[in-house]
Amino acid sequence: MPKVTINDRTVEVEAGTNLIEAGIKVGVQIPHYCYHPRLTVVGQCRMCLVEVSVNGKKMPKLQAGCSTPVADNMEVRTDTDEVRDAQAGMMEFFLINHPLDCPICDQAGECGLQDYSFKHGVAFSRFKFEDKRTYPGRERIPLGPNVILNMNRCIQCTRCVRFTHEVSQTGELGFFNRGARTEIGTFPGKELDNPLSTCVVDICPVGALTSTRFRFAERVFYLDKKPSICTGCDVGCNITMEHRRGNIKRYKPRFNPEVNDYWMCDYGRSTFERYKSVPRLRGCRVRSEDGTETIGGWKEALDLVHRRLRQRTSEGAVAFLGSGNLTNEEAWLFSLLASYVGSPHRGTPVDLGAGWTIPNLKGGITGTELAPNRRGAEMLGMRPSAGEELDETLGGDGSNGKEKAPVLDQDELLLGDGASKCAVLVVCDSDFGRGAYTPEVVERLRRAKFLVVFGWADSPLAKVADVALPVATHAEKDGTFVNAEWRVQRFVAAFPAPAQVRSTVEALSDLLGRFDPKWAGLTPEKVFDRIAADVPAFVGLKWSTLPATGAALQVPGANPIMSETTAETMPEVS
Amino acid sequence: MAFERVLTRNVGNRDALTLDGYKKTGGYEALAKALKMEPEAVIEEVKKSGLRGRGGAGFPAGMKWGFIPKGKDKPKYLVCNADESEPGTFKDRLLMEHDPHQLIEGCAICCWAVHAETCYIYIRGEYTKAAAILERALKEAYDARILGNSAMGSGFKLNMYVHRGAGAYICGEETGMLESLEGKRGQPRVKPPFPAVVGAFGAPTVINNVETLCNVPHIINRGADWFKSIGTDERNTGPKLYAISGHVERPGTYEHPIGITFREMLEAAGGMWRQGQLKAFIPGGASAPLLKASEIDIKMDFDTVAKAGSMLGSAAVIVMDETVCMVRSVARLAKFFNHESCGQCTPCREGTNWMELLLKRLEHGEGREGDAMLLKSVAGNVGGNSLCALGDAAVGPVKSLVERFPEEIEAHIRERRCPFPEYRYFKDGV
Repeated sequence: MPKVTINDRTVEVEAGTNLIEAGIKVGVQIPHYCYHPRLTVVGQCRMCLVEVSVNGKKMPKLQAGCSTPVADNMEVRTDTDEVRDAQAGMMEFFLINHPLDCPICDQAGECGLQDYSFKHGVAFSRFKFEDKRTYPGRERIPLGPNVILNMNRCIQCTRCVRFTHEVSQTGELGFFNRGARTEIGTFPGKELDNPLSTCVVDICPVGALTSTRFRFAERVFYLDKKPSICTGCDVGCNITMEHRRGNIKRYKPRFNPEVNDYWMCDYGRSTFERYKSVPRLRGCRVRSEDGTETIGGWKEALDLVHRRLRQRTSEGAVAFLGSGNLTNEEAWLFSLLASYVGSPHRGTPVDLGAGWTIPNLKGGITGTELAPNRRGAEMLGMRPSAGEELDETLGGDGSNGKEKAPVLDQDELLLGDGASKCAVLVVCDSDFGRGAYTPEVVERLRRAKFLVVFGWADSPLAKVADVALPVATHAEKDGTFVNAEWRVQRFVAAFPAPAQVRSTVEALSDLLGRFDPKWAGLTPEKVFDRIAADVPAFVGLKWSTLPATGAALQVPGANPIMSETTAETMPEVS
Repeated sequence: MAFERVLTRNVGNRDALTLDGYKKTGGYEALAKALKMEPEAVIEEVKKSGLRGRGGAGFPAGMKWGFIPKGKDKPKYLVCNADESEPGTFKDRLLMEHDPHQLIEGCAICCWAVHAETCYIYIRGEYTKAAAILERALKEAYDARILGNSAMGSGFKLNMYVHRGAGAYICGEETGMLESLEGKRGQPRVKPPFPAVVGAFGAPTVINNVETLCNVPHIINRGADWFKSIGTDERNTGPKLYAISGHVERPGTYEHPIGITFREMLEAAGGMWRQGQLKAFIPGGASAPLLKASEIDIKMDFDTVAKAGSMLGSAAVIVMDETVCMVRSVARLAKFFNHESCGQCTPCREGTNWMELLLKRLEHGEGREGDAMLLKSVAGNVGGNSLCALGDAAVGPVKSLVERFPEEIEAHIRERRCPFPEYRYFKDGV
């Protein structure tokens, strides 16, 4: 492996690595615009010019860091006057024709031009008496449903063009005209409408491409950012949740080479809007015998649920309908609750989606389910008859034909008449899928004698519940999800939940504490470490040391559409 | 001076347009000879001759051929650069229109030397006549089995195509040409990798100028030593075409041994137009820095011109007399480069534009103190920092204007107008 010295710091990197990447390894930032680790190197912004000497012999010209591979005996300097002059010169070239409309630009605050002109540019302009180049009529061109182009701000780095050709492989964008009149645009008759289209906004280093969804929504420097995970599907894209005082403004992809790389889909970016469009459940709502609703406190509500769960057996089954939105911790506690009641009637309904593929270096992950954690929930007990002796041949996805009629699974509950056999039906959460909004399904679930619904959403299902308990959205709680490739990933709360709203873990542990005081007062961390101790697939993991890229679970024959193997059978197969 | 024309020997001989006529002048003997030689020997001979690329950069042709990796795991290509589009340059056109078979023979020898089985002649789109002549000549060569599955019966498969460009100067840059040839947007690629490793269609590719390749048959025929006997020294050998234009009595393409002085060349072209005073000249096409009249005795070879701070380039000599406003001429050149910049890299895209605006402003009498320094600084930021050579080319004339003719810029600023009379033609000036 070649060794290269950058600003007196020596680093050994793989052959073929370019100077920008080698610089990052030793903490030397080489400024760049057009270079992106996942796109072809074109070397055209010329911002990454560095001084290169090989064998002590200085190259006559400055070299572009992005297109120069490291070599042995190479010495690179990024701090000479020549390099600084070149960087300042390039900054000047970028800015002479830039509109400098930062006060009204969405990018201001996270703009490559602002950052680098502060760091490498000069504070005054020499371009005073000439006219700026403008693109009249090209200030707000919708390239597609999600992206708007302002050509005046563009610095022609062509990242977006290369993205559509190389990553999304749809090729809608092109580079038109030439010289100072060069433009970015869509090819005639095409529009930038692919599942990944908003990624071009992320990779645009300036404010030329803006997201229709985020446009003028918030100044980015007012946004608070927390690492989180997209709940749109089971890919589990790592995101940065950006909100202002609890008002989520956007999701941005967060780099995770194992999952979503630098990308995420447009659908995923839109999922936070549910938190605004669906009404929120804001207090414990208890329906009394005569049908009057009262908004009460948690204590009374949980006491009622506890009472009903204890007196169930004579009246019928007690079923637990989970959801793919449960975190692993919630699912484990929920199934623990089912175990306390001795109920095998459990299910995890999940809606199937269009199947978005997020490309990464291993080829990509396809998400087919519209919930982030069906696998984790089922693995941790939220699958039919998980509490019972299990017939291996039944298959685990719960949808296969059931000879043993008594066990109620999600299909029986949602599509069949399972709920009418239930003395108590506990649904967690009220937003488990399309079913919670479908009148027929709601009506079927309502046939249970006593319906308890946890959830953040005041969905039609929550509205008909006997007890509706308000819990936190995934933006307000900590937890872990298992994605389509059996990778467990952690996320944290971005902001606190509103008053009266508790996290599901807290609520469940409170409820479980009524069965056995040892379960009271659990936190997701404690639950996760408990899971790690109990469930073979999670062995060795620890909440506090779970890697930022997540940890792959040791699940035999793991593939996204496998039939789930129970946690109990795992050790033998290893 | 007793100099026998070599490259242009068939100019005026209309017979040479046909295969038979060309063969009468000794045509395709060199190819036959080369096909009997080892390819390495051909490369060696060309290396020994000291033939340097005639397209502008002056890179030794034999060395370029030597870079092509041996072995047959990948096809190899020869691309003949006939995209002659620099203002003032019209030498390749003459060769193609008057002696197409000479070019085909040169290409064929080069293909043999580097094991390229396919040759593309990338010809400037506007050269319709030359393209037609070349096409006809190619057909003749195919019919006579000089090209095709077995070139001249040697078993060497050789196909040659004429590819017409679509009118961009940047496609004369070698990697831009390859992109254009592959059907993509014509814009230069990042180097390295160089075309000798990854060129057309990802395969090793030799790219040579028309004139360079036209020299090859003569080197094979008469030997490297003969070739070396022409010219000034070891590094500047052979005959050279000079396209002289501007204020001379008889503008046109002249063949001289390389290293003739500019004074001799001017005399051969009939001297200054209407006995005008020489003020400045461009020795090597629009991208070469201007030289002053005092440098009239400069030897027109690669190294001497480079030492004088300019470049021989494509040897397109543009002569200017005392009526010429240097600011206006350089502004016109800057306009050309701004127009032809591909827009890919920042310094060239923004810098050529800014230089044009600055020069226009100067020419229109709106210059300010310090503009000369600004111009030089902008040019300095473009030169050496751009992706391909076009950026460097664009700053050549601008820098030389600031360095060699500062008094003209000052006069423009002081008088707040252009001190020279308006041209009769091109009234809008720049």
